[in-house]
Amino acid sequence: MRIFYLELKRVLKSKLTWILLALALLLSVLLAWLPTTYCYSNYTDEDGNEVNLTGLASIAHEKERQAEAAGIVTPQRVREAVETYQACLASYGVTESYDLPEGVYEREILPIAPLLHGVKEAFADPDTGMAPAIMEIDLEQIDDYYSVCETRIASLMQMEQPDSPRAQSKAVEMYRNTKKPFEVYPGMTSAVMDYQNIMGFLVLLFCVVIAAPIFSADYQSGADDILRCTRHGRVSLGIAKMFAALFISGAAFVLCAAVHILVADSLFGWECTRTSIQMMYSIVTLADMNIGGLQFLFAVAGLLSVLASVSFTLFLSARCRTTVSSLASSLVFCIAPVVISMTAPGALGAWLCSILPASGTSIQASVLYAITDFQFLNLAGLSVWMPYAMIGACMIEIPLFAFLAVRSYCRHALN
Amino acid sequence: MELLIDKVSKKFKDKKAVDNISLELTPGVWGLLGANGAGKTTLMRMIAGIMQPTSGQVLYDGVPIQTLGEGYRDVFGFLPQEFGFYPEFTVKDYLAYVAALKGLTERESRRRIRELLERVSLTDVYNKKIARLSGGMKRRVGIAQALLNDPEILILDEPTGGLDPGERVRFRNLLSEFAHDRIVLISTHIVPDVEYIATCHAIIRDGRLLATGTTEELVRLVEGKVWSCTIPARAVPEYESRLQIISLRNENDGSVSIRYLAENPCNDISVPSVPRLEDLYLWLFPQGGVENPKRTSRKKGGIHR
Repeated sequence: MRIFYLELKRVLKSKLTWILLALALLLSVLLAWLPTTYCYSNYTDEDGNEVNLTGLASIAHEKERQAEAAGIVTPQRVREAVETYQACLASYGVTESYDLPEGVYEREILPIAPLLHGVKEAFADPDTGMAPAIMEIDLEQIDDYYSVCETRIASLMQMEQPDSPRAQSKAVEMYRNTKKPFEVYPGMTSAVMDYQNIMGFLVLLFCVVIAAPIFSADYQSGADDILRCTRHGRVSLGIAKMFAALFISGAAFVLCAAVHILVADSLFGWECTRTSIQMMYSIVTLADMNIGGLQFLFAVAGLLSVLASVSFTLFLSARCRTTVSSLASSLVFCIAPVVISMTAPGALGAWLCSILPASGTSIQASVLYAITDFQFLNLAGLSVWMPYAMIGACMIEIPLFAFLAVRSYCRHALN
Repeated sequence: MELLIDKVSKKFKDKKAVDNISLELTPGVWGLLGANGAGKTTLMRMIAGIMQPTSGQVLYDGVPIQTLGEGYRDVFGFLPQEFGFYPEFTVKDYLAYVAALKGLTERESRRRIRELLERVSLTDVYNKKIARLSGGMKRRVGIAQALLNDPEILILDEPTGGLDPGERVRFRNLLSEFAHDRIVLISTHIVPDVEYIATCHAIIRDGRLLATGTTEELVRLVEGKVWSCTIPARAVPEYESRLQIISLRNENDGSVSIRYLAENPCNDISVPSVPRLEDLYLWLFPQGGVENPKRTSRKKGGIHR
């Protein structure tokens, strides 16, 4: 314990560590606030003046305008919203809302817009996946809205995973188990989650930069020669170094994620966290959770990903002779999921993105996007939903690479 | 107490860095002499247990050091040639860190650090970052860390590099005091550093042990081979081209006193000079380590031809 404490103190004495941790915290706040700046509202006031709102004022305005849409998304309310939409567009003789005269959308459609989320997707053509215009939707069918959604997930999975009936049936089963009716509380956008993803990725990079020299810097400076000649300078020191790096990284991520979520939810409104994930992403998203749950689960997945990446970085650090090589190789593995997701689509890309330690919170290939997607990994008759595979891989990688790091450290230079 | 190096060899790819060295280290200060690249550091790393020999083994009181593990490291102190430290640490933090790794309790650690800082004259800078210390001070921090656990075996690889003459004297005195009932092995190519404090020396070249013995025994090997004479200054280049000159000193009358190594005097005015350990070193490693084919392999207290 004393060695762990001293090692913790040593890492925390480094200026670079403090600069990176302070930067991570600052970015957590900044990235929570940034999505508010993209919010924009425009309306004509009672005097006929055009009013433009941005940021928090825009969020408050939209919440006020959509207050009546908030709550449980019953088929009845969806039907009423679609009915209102169709009547409005019919009265102006148009088939798409963007053809409406200026100010009409804000006045008549905007208040019900949250309830219209996913309606077109639910009624998409089962063979082509093409969504109809809301004007084409038969109101009678909306009475059985959630059954329509279940039919939609079945047809969608047939398109997404045509060769895996097991994945199809699993997806249908998962969707059937989601809590319905959904709920919606307007105000928050999916950009909040995207920025949580960016925050997680940046913290991951910072933690990797802190962890990369843990062993290799000692080899490079020769400090290691002295340390491994001491009584506790091998296994005990290796374990202490490993735990210190994991503790600092874990604590940094937990703090940054907590700050980010607290700031974002405070800015957008805590009631938004009760919105069902299906009312922000695809109406047939498989996960049974609301936005608050998604934020928490993504934070947990991000934490596991950071710990797995740091664990892997420690392993590389214990294998490399210089800090430059350990840092460079670690960073390559951090950005690998981003590159793979862009260059290797299909099953190979999905597998690689699932097993790489940084995947959990990587840009474009994170657990967040896996949760809101419909990818399954198929192997020998088994179908595993990608987020489960990603989280499972991280849980295996943390102890595995930590063990390999300590083992490599103990064996370093002996030959 | 005995540290036995038993037929130890170390091969890196095609090169044998240490070639079948056997040496029995008993309490006292031992000097390990050899030119750069002779294999001193490799040998010391194997004695320290941080490098595995390709063949042979190191035994402490008859037990292989790998078997002893922590037990060996408990009685062991090591200062490598490159003293790596953590730049963010102060002297006190660094010593406390190493003391914890050496298994000292916090109380013992505080007492020992205070004591050693006084002995190596670093009390004034104990709260200063190591990175900001002079080269000599850093070296003294390195020596202090090696002594933290009051080791029975102390291995110092080129410990006097960067020390000024005063610090070297203090260092020699410190080691002489410390070496009582302990094995201290100092590797160096700066012969005067060990000439007077080492009870025995081992000389290695190209990974092989050339000679072992006390200073007196080894010096005897070059008896009758060290000469001195005074020559005109203009003759120096000619003498330098055919002799191995150990030292040159300009005299007031324009002549030059030279001291040189040779089997026989090179002129009628040369007189025998009292040999020193450095003369033997230069005899064995002429021109900075180039092997003289006439001066070859080892024997205790002597050199094989």
